Amino acid sequence: MPDEIVLKVENLSKFFPMKKSVFSRAKHFLHAVDNLNFQIEKGKVLSLVGESGCGKTTTGKTILKLYEPTGGKITFLGKDVTHLHETEDKKWFHSKTQMIFQDPFESLNPRKTIFDIVAEPMNIQNFGTLRKRELMVMDILKRVGISPPDAFLWRYPHELSGGQRQRVAIARALVMKPEFVVADEPTSMLDVSIRTQVMKLMMELIKEMNMSFLYITHDLAVARYMADEISVMYLGRMVEYANSEELINNPLHPYTKALISAVPVPDPEFKRKSVEIKGGIGKPIDPLPRCRFYDRCPFAMEICNQKEPELLDVGQNHKVACFLYKKDGGTIA
Amino acid sequence: MKAVLEIKNLKMYYDTQAGQVKAADDISFSLYEGESMGLVGESGCGKTSVSMSIMRLLPENARIISGNIFFGGKDIVKLSNEEMNKIRWAGISMIFQAAMNSLNPVYRVGDQIIEAITTHEPDVTFEEARQRVASLYKLVGLDPERMDNYPHEYSGGMKQRAVIAMSLACNPKLIIADEPTTALDVIVQDTILRELEKIQKKLNMSMIYISHDIAVIAEVASKIAIMYAGKIVEMSDSVTIFKRPAHPYTVGLMSSFPSIRGAKKELVTIPGEPPNLLNAPDHCRFAPRCPFATDECWKKEPSYEEIEDNHFVACFHPQNLKKQVRANAG
Repeated sequence: MPDEIVLKVENLSKFFPMKKSVFSRAKHFLHAVDNLNFQIEKGKVLSLVGESGCGKTTTGKTILKLYEPTGGKITFLGKDVTHLHETEDKKWFHSKTQMIFQDPFESLNPRKTIFDIVAEPMNIQNFGTLRKRELMVMDILKRVGISPPDAFLWRYPHELSGGQRQRVAIARALVMKPEFVVADEPTSMLDVSIRTQVMKLMMELIKEMNMSFLYITHDLAVARYMADEISVMYLGRMVEYANSEELINNPLHPYTKALISAVPVPDPEFKRKSVEIKGGIGKPIDPLPRCRFYDRCPFAMEICNQKEPELLDVGQNHKVACFLYKKDGGTIA
Repeated sequence: MKAVLEIKNLKMYYDTQAGQVKAADDISFSLYEGESMGLVGESGCGKTSVSMSIMRLLPENARIISGNIFFGGKDIVKLSNEEMNKIRWAGISMIFQAAMNSLNPVYRVGDQIIEAITTHEPDVTFEEARQRVASLYKLVGLDPERMDNYPHEYSGGMKQRAVIAMSLACNPKLIIADEPTTALDVIVQDTILRELEKIQKKLNMSMIYISHDIAVIAEVASKIAIMYAGKIVEMSDSVTIFKRPAHPYTVGLMSSFPSIRGAKKELVTIPGEPPNLLNAPDHCRFAPRCPFATDECWKKEPSYEEIEDNHFVACFHPQNLKKQVRANAG
């Protein structure tokens, strides 16, 4: 089944209460993730791109139930997993999903050996015999390029380099052969030459194991190489969504355009145009019902101040949330 | 043109319990007036060690073994601490990595810059210093009214601008910017880089940009030095470095960088990891990862030579040379 939908997210929201004291009820809410809709097919990679504070990490964590969603619906493999109550359901969900974190220096327990770290998901799930776990750990370590694996089994994280640690973190996430993985900036802490190695490794493994990935990054160039589709987030909202080459070569939303033009180009003879937008990113605390990019947008119109634009398909599955564009192609301007 | 900074065969080693770490090994380069240079390399390659040697801000276990750093006709290596204190900030200033953490959270931002001015120029009155800070704020694109705010009231980009203003406070001839935009978002990074470039041209200062990101360096530097494992392996003007990289490490670095411009190219990986600088080997340090390595590379270290006009490389098998290009074409 090539078009099997692994994950479907409908109107997903996550608000954080801004409490002044422990005893008072929150009056203000930070809209970290606001009304997101997307789906990921089997074997596909969707990348969430945005500046820090745009809610991309919160989205990943909410989908994996590390946060309880405020509203909306999450469907995983055809099953509603928005609220999991039964232990059996939780166990099933968490055995099929995994997360890879940004900083391999903090995500690995320094007191555990590499074997214990990688085998931990199997221990929690009570999976197989010790002998079987050992074989599976050896197998996955070999696959992520930690070789020879038996030389590393009883070492501790501090004995490994940054690149090796991230490989171990990837091994831990993939040892149970999950269907769906959230990778939160997995290469941003690594050095350039190591980063490319880890990116290539992940791409190989995704293909080999036919997994679905949600790849969170701030770097559009990395997203272009890793993902089939890219979605750009701004202050908790999805502002644009398209096939990755389409999004890079034909960005529509003013914010996406600014983001792309701000990326430095490794070519000293290339002169980039300056970014047109002004100011910095704010915080979506009790946002007004208007376009969240209104303050910074060079094309802001009256309507942008009156209501929020919806994510519209302007053709070929390219979606954009901006009043400059009309449904199924065509622009206002 | 006059050389503002001239480094000759600088060797800076750290003494550790495990042995000697050759963090900067035989570094030579000169920097001219108004020139901006990029120092590129991966973490642990010694780029920050070079800048700390220039500022003489070294930890206790670090020693400058040999070499000279000439700044304004004086050899910094031989200066006393008092003399060095006069050069720091007034002659050479620095924008530190993670600038947001280099501001003191309990003092007003403006006062911290005023302090830097009055320390180095005791004749300047408080009012004059305040005036100067106000004009510096305008120069870096900050509102002078924000002088009396505390650092936590600034955003990340504003703190970075304030730190840049501080580095300019005493009209230095040379500024060393150590990863000045690494912690910032792309759009903020873009505005800060443009600001820095503009100021540097306007004041005709010399700059050294230190970064791991070759894309950032491509935009701001006219000359680039590539460092690997404590050594400069290649140096030339930025166009030569990007269009005709000669050292295999530079070649690998260029093609392992994802870009959003042009057609999607296959990324090339450099196998292996950078070596440990503890008890560094006496053969070429890149040999274990190099696709062109021969027996020669495993026997001795290649010397750092000018292979073309203004193009320095330390390699037995340099690539993409003009002669080679011609030979291949003919």
